[in-house]
Amino acid sequence: MGKYIIGRIVQIIITFFIVISIIFLMFRVMPSDPSSFLLTPSMTAEAKQTIRKQFGLDEPIAVQYVIYLKNFIHGDFGNSFYSGRPVMSIIMEKMLNTIFLSTTAVILSYLIGIFIGKAIAWKRGSKAEKFFVILGLWFYTTFTPWLGIMFLWIFAFKLKWFPLGGMITPEKWIFDPSLFEKICDLGHHLILPLITYVVLWFGSYLLLMRNSMLETLKEDYILTARAKGLKEKVIKNRHAARNAMLPIVTAFAISISFSIAGAVLIETIFSWPGIGRTIVEATLRQDYPLVQGAFAVITMVVLLANFAADIAYSYLDPRITY
Amino acid sequence: METLNYTLDKTEKKSLIRQIWDLAGRSTFIKLGVFIMLIFGGMAVLSPIWIQINPAIYDPIIGVDLSVNGSVGPSFKHPLGTDDIGKDLFSQLLRGSQVAFILGIMVSLISTTLGTTIGLFAGYYGKISDTLLMRLADIILTVPILPLLIVISGIFGTQSNWIILLILSFTFWPVTARVIRAQTLSLRERPFIESAKVSGISNTRIIVKHLAPNVLPIAFYYLTVTVTGAILVEAGLSFLGFGDPSNMSWGMMLQWCFVKGYVFKAPYWMIPPGLCISLLSFSFYLIGVGLEEIVNPRLKKR
Repeated sequence: MGKYIIGRIVQIIITFFIVISIIFLMFRVMPSDPSSFLLTPSMTAEAKQTIRKQFGLDEPIAVQYVIYLKNFIHGDFGNSFYSGRPVMSIIMEKMLNTIFLSTTAVILSYLIGIFIGKAIAWKRGSKAEKFFVILGLWFYTTFTPWLGIMFLWIFAFKLKWFPLGGMITPEKWIFDPSLFEKICDLGHHLILPLITYVVLWFGSYLLLMRNSMLETLKEDYILTARAKGLKEKVIKNRHAARNAMLPIVTAFAISISFSIAGAVLIETIFSWPGIGRTIVEATLRQDYPLVQGAFAVITMVVLLANFAADIAYSYLDPRITY
Repeated sequence: METLNYTLDKTEKKSLIRQIWDLAGRSTFIKLGVFIMLIFGGMAVLSPIWIQINPAIYDPIIGVDLSVNGSVGPSFKHPLGTDDIGKDLFSQLLRGSQVAFILGIMVSLISTTLGTTIGLFAGYYGKISDTLLMRLADIILTVPILPLLIVISGIFGTQSNWIILLILSFTFWPVTARVIRAQTLSLRERPFIESAKVSGISNTRIIVKHLAPNVLPIAFYYLTVTVTGAILVEAGLSFLGFGDPSNMSWGMMLQWCFVKGYVFKAPYWMIPPGLCISLLSFSFYLIGVGLEEIVNPRLKKR
């Protein structure tokens, strides 16, 4: 086990190294000089040189690469071209918003998906099973921004139940409201993106849980449990569902990397100030340090999530030995 | 219910493919999926015919109806209305179907072929080639595709659909490869492969003649679900404004509607493209799930 964990950590480091090296290369072979955004023709040669030096663009490429790696290890991604703030502090702030929204969403869709998946696997072949499988499939393949826009149109624009976007109402926060008012305001903004996420995602957990449950029900210990004369409910919840949930732990990690793509789209629709929207905006503004940093952090999060899931899986299922 | 219960019989004379074909006709999922897919296929075929009616007005890229002022709703001349500068939305929708079909099917064909070949190769030969190929697969799997494509468009400018198609093909293969490899690992130990080896035929022949036909059913499943993935990623990319600027796609239609501020004003513009993306993805996924019910014996009815 210890050997396995060390092996995995080495693998994560290698993967991360490869990814950031590719990012470095892409930014060096790009058609436009990354500094051209900062340099204007009216600048004196001296001023141009100062800026180049500031961003380390005057060194040979090998030296630039070493500096780049060193800075990465220290979590220093430079300053944003656009706002001038350190990239790391922007990313941390946005990442927190993303994690807040998507973690809540993943947990909620997980619970709903497992609950329905368990029930319909038990009712194999019924009309209800078919209905929920098709419903789950439909939402799983629904185009994310479109569903978001539809929800905004109906619930925010027509019915005016929820705000049209953002995470908070800035006007309300100027006068330093009580904590309760702050939470209410945040919750009010959270509901619509959260519902969109859950509607889009519960389907994949539902299908996974159903399939896993169907496979578990074929195991010998289920037959034994029946032979012992246990109640159906006990077999379903204690014997089958617990084991059927194992593969879904792995799915949990995969859904983290999946949720990043989802976050890009949902955060854009709902103007949620998260990492997904940041990477889109930074790209459009040609804010390269921020793009670089955001992409590196996203990849790191995905790698760590996969690692955590593998560890959790081996812990939950003693049959797995590495 | 009878329709959810299928059996593949390996001892039967008919080939596996033939059996799947026969069983597919009884699956509600597959029938529904194929039905939806055919509608969109029809739309893709209709696209050039519709343009021919009056290219000056109906061409999805350059055609403009100068007689309309701003975005107007459905009419006899424009079945779905026009966008804010007088372009026909119906012809854009038809072209979108064409683009989605070509992109989705091409990506799926390339990546599934690649994944199956690599999976078979890694699983059969094992050792160092297996380790290297699977580590490569792991690395590619952890790279978030949509952000990657955004970053690439940011650095090198927006890309043509062909480049997007290639990038997607090379990022989608690991999923198939991993599953095919696992399957090959177990097949490799079976007696029929052992006896094939003893009989002295070449490794290539064993892979092509004896292993490949046994993993094909799984490859078929990935062939259909990859189409869904490719369509959704391209749509997402176009929606964010990083799509192929020389063409029209459903994601781009929705993007224009969003950017020009018509999302709440013009439902005839906002609803169709998103619905089409979702329905076409849905249809391929339905076929995939239908196939899974057939090829995965563990999902059979108790």
